[in-house]
Amino acid sequence: MGQRMPDLSIDFAGVQLRNPVLLASGTCNYGQELLPLTDFARLGGLVTKTITPQPRGGNPPQRIVETPAGMLNSIGLQNPGLEAFVEKQWPLLASLDAQIVVNIAGFAVEEFGQMAASLEALEGIAALEVNISCPNVEAGGDNFATRPQTAAAAITAVRSRTQRPVIAKLTPNVTDIAEIARAVVDAGADAVSLINTLVGMAIDVERRRPVLGGVTGGLSGPAIRPVALAMVWKVAQAVAVPVMGIGGITTASDVLEFMVAGASAVQVGTASFANPNAGVEIVEDLHAYCDERGIDRIASLVGSLR
Amino acid sequence: MIDEQARLLSNREVAADFYLARLNAPYIAARIEPGQFVNIEVGAGVDPLLRIPLSVSGVEREAGIIEVLYEEVGPKTRALSQVGPDAVLPTLGPLGKGFVSPPEGTRVVLVGGGIGVPPLMYWGLELRQQTHQTALLVGARTANKHLPSELLELAADAVLLATDDGSLGHAGLVTDLLQHELAEKGPCAVYCCGPHGMMQAVAAICLEAQVPCQVSLEEYMACGIGICVGCAVELATAKGDYGRYARVCVDGPAFDARQIKWGNACPT
Repeated sequence: MGQRMPDLSIDFAGVQLRNPVLLASGTCNYGQELLPLTDFARLGGLVTKTITPQPRGGNPPQRIVETPAGMLNSIGLQNPGLEAFVEKQWPLLASLDAQIVVNIAGFAVEEFGQMAASLEALEGIAALEVNISCPNVEAGGDNFATRPQTAAAAITAVRSRTQRPVIAKLTPNVTDIAEIARAVVDAGADAVSLINTLVGMAIDVERRRPVLGGVTGGLSGPAIRPVALAMVWKVAQAVAVPVMGIGGITTASDVLEFMVAGASAVQVGTASFANPNAGVEIVEDLHAYCDERGIDRIASLVGSLR
Repeated sequence: MIDEQARLLSNREVAADFYLARLNAPYIAARIEPGQFVNIEVGAGVDPLLRIPLSVSGVEREAGIIEVLYEEVGPKTRALSQVGPDAVLPTLGPLGKGFVSPPEGTRVVLVGGGIGVPPLMYWGLELRQQTHQTALLVGARTANKHLPSELLELAADAVLLATDDGSLGHAGLVTDLLQHELAEKGPCAVYCCGPHGMMQAVAAICLEAQVPCQVSLEEYMACGIGICVGCAVELATAKGDYGRYARVCVDGPAFDARQIKWGNACPT
């Protein structure tokens, strides 16, 4: 048994986290709905739902379907837009006792830069997470995140307009995620987070129609965890910046797997849909694990794979 | 709203594939209003992963008991149907916005289809206590897909049934019963829950007859508390706080039928 309280704190690209568990973008909205159900002061932080320059109505329903040990979503980045976010959502987020990472996206390179510049004056943002898994309207709708050049261009645009830590969120829907990771780090990303959802589909056989209004969607949940873990392990060896692990994390033991693979911190996503207090319960279990094993500093586990 | 450790008291089949579960959940029982719902965790594992959102069909406030009626339609409802007494099921509630009360003295017509009846039963019980005169019109495919009349009769002064195959009550649609009710008895307030097409038809009839209509919508949802933005329904005109789509779980499930853009919503 440890003599002292185990230290769960993590320095993530200069952001001081009290523990390595954040709530993932798109799974905690902008904090308000979870206030009665979880204690943000016991989390490492939260990552907002993606903000785009203009409001977005999102995709037609059906937007969600459960799949084995996971779910598909096709929300379509529904969000109030930058201006309404600053006016309506930010005041509550700023009042929370937690590190707030704001997730931004654009549909052209310059929009990424504008998003970063517009948020620069807002005090209290711990870091920007850049969702580059969006169609690039200037390049025929190709996804920014799927080519090293376009991924780097989006990150360069953000890097040049902010002093804050920049976290590039990577898609798993590529041949070599390490190549994309190297490109965004060369473009100035202070860290990477991965993985975003895997492209998936469900079909209603009786109607011979796609289940989701958006036809395909993003697969998340425990079903994708081994894929995410392998990619985190691969990327952690490819780049020298901190890695945030995301993908189906549901338990403390899942968190430890990602940390041993090389993640300095993690995000809990779909688990919060089934249990809105999942993040805090995972932190409690991490605490108990470190205590039982006499691990003084959880940071010592990062990249400890033998 | 809390995540209450609800204890299952009983869980029995009351019609073909329809189950009635009684749960001891004093916090929720003391607060939940007609039209609101709960989100029940069936198992702690990853399959099923998400909870089951269910409308409450009845409440015994003093005893701390809530009732939910559900149809076994897939793996998750099958899993719930197999849970035995004394199991503890984490239950989030009360969730969403319930029905808005009609003006005092208004006659009320409740229109239900299939497994859309449960929220109307709790609402009917409350309305009767407020001395509203109530009629409950229910449509189903066939006789054994109707809830037992001893359950339905609690919710209204008059219960009228329809079946598609004519095996019980009126042979035809529940909307025929509504048309007749409106023609014969005049002004009322309508509350409706059922398959999408039925609600769309009821909304159109009420608009034509110039009677107020509230609908309780169902849409596939992950969280039930507004964080996933999955249970979207398109609004007819006014933009909500959240763009042209509203979230069924927090902005509803009860909506004024005129708020909904019926043509473009997901058919069920």
